[in-house]
Amino acid sequence: MPSKSKTETRKDEDYELIAAINSGRKNLFYQLVKRYEQRIYNFGLKMCRDITDAEDLVQETFLNVFRYLKNFRYETKFKNWLYRIASSVCIKKRRRSKFAPQQELSLDDFIPGDESDIPQEIPEWAALPLEKLLNRELAEIVNEAILSLPESYRPIIVLRDIEGFSTQETAQILDISPANVKVRLHRARLFLKEKLKSYYEHA
Amino acid sequence: MHYHREQCLAMFEKLSEYIDNELDEVSCKDIEKHAKECIQCQACLETLKRTIEICRESESKPVPKLFSFRLKELIRELS
Repeated sequence: MPSKSKTETRKDEDYELIAAINSGRKNLFYQLVKRYEQRIYNFGLKMCRDITDAEDLVQETFLNVFRYLKNFRYETKFKNWLYRIASSVCIKKRRRSKFAPQQELSLDDFIPGDESDIPQEIPEWAALPLEKLLNRELAEIVNEAILSLPESYRPIIVLRDIEGFSTQETAQILDISPANVKVRLHRARLFLKEKLKSYYEHA
Repeated sequence: MHYHREQCLAMFEKLSEYIDNELDEVSCKDIEKHAKECIQCQACLETLKRTIEICRESESKPVPKLFSFRLKELIRELS
């Protein structure tokens, strides 16, 4: 685990702008919004499917950032703090919207079992160069697969494999243990792998 | 596969940590050795790696212009 002091001293490209805003230059706040608007919008799309919900997430996140920026302590990267706010907005929205039972994924469900499931070679979709696979249809399949993940797994795969946060950072953003991130990430990836496998087998 | 069932299961649980370089050297070597001998585990590893690569290539959509404009106005009013 990286030491706290190492995290604290890491240069953050946003610190200067935040310091300026917090010193009274509030008109600079929109620059901060511009830097992250698209990323948070895409995080919203991955988390809630609906364009309107993603827009609401962006708006509510930045209103919270505006409200609490004075409390930002430069102990973490601004980006991580921002995603922590966005994730918590997301969780609150979900609680308000409807009752959704928490579904769990079991590792056992993904263990290849019967003989027919045993491949004799590496499937073509894993052996071909990546650029030969990427297209709009695949992007849609992946989006759908992510949206069909149980909600306690979705933010983890989005933060780790799409947004590129580390295990440690994801744990801090979601306020869960790194071990929990690892367990849930592995199951979420296996879930997506099965979706992709089934897409390629039936393509 | 059935000859190595225990090894397969042990490897299966650690695949993500292996891909993420979060395992110690001994565990990595074990996985690499086993994957060479077991086509099923090798296929599982490669398809999982590919799944992650596909996720990482996920394209970013532009923010709708009208929403972006409204957000800008809202921020201007606040600040």
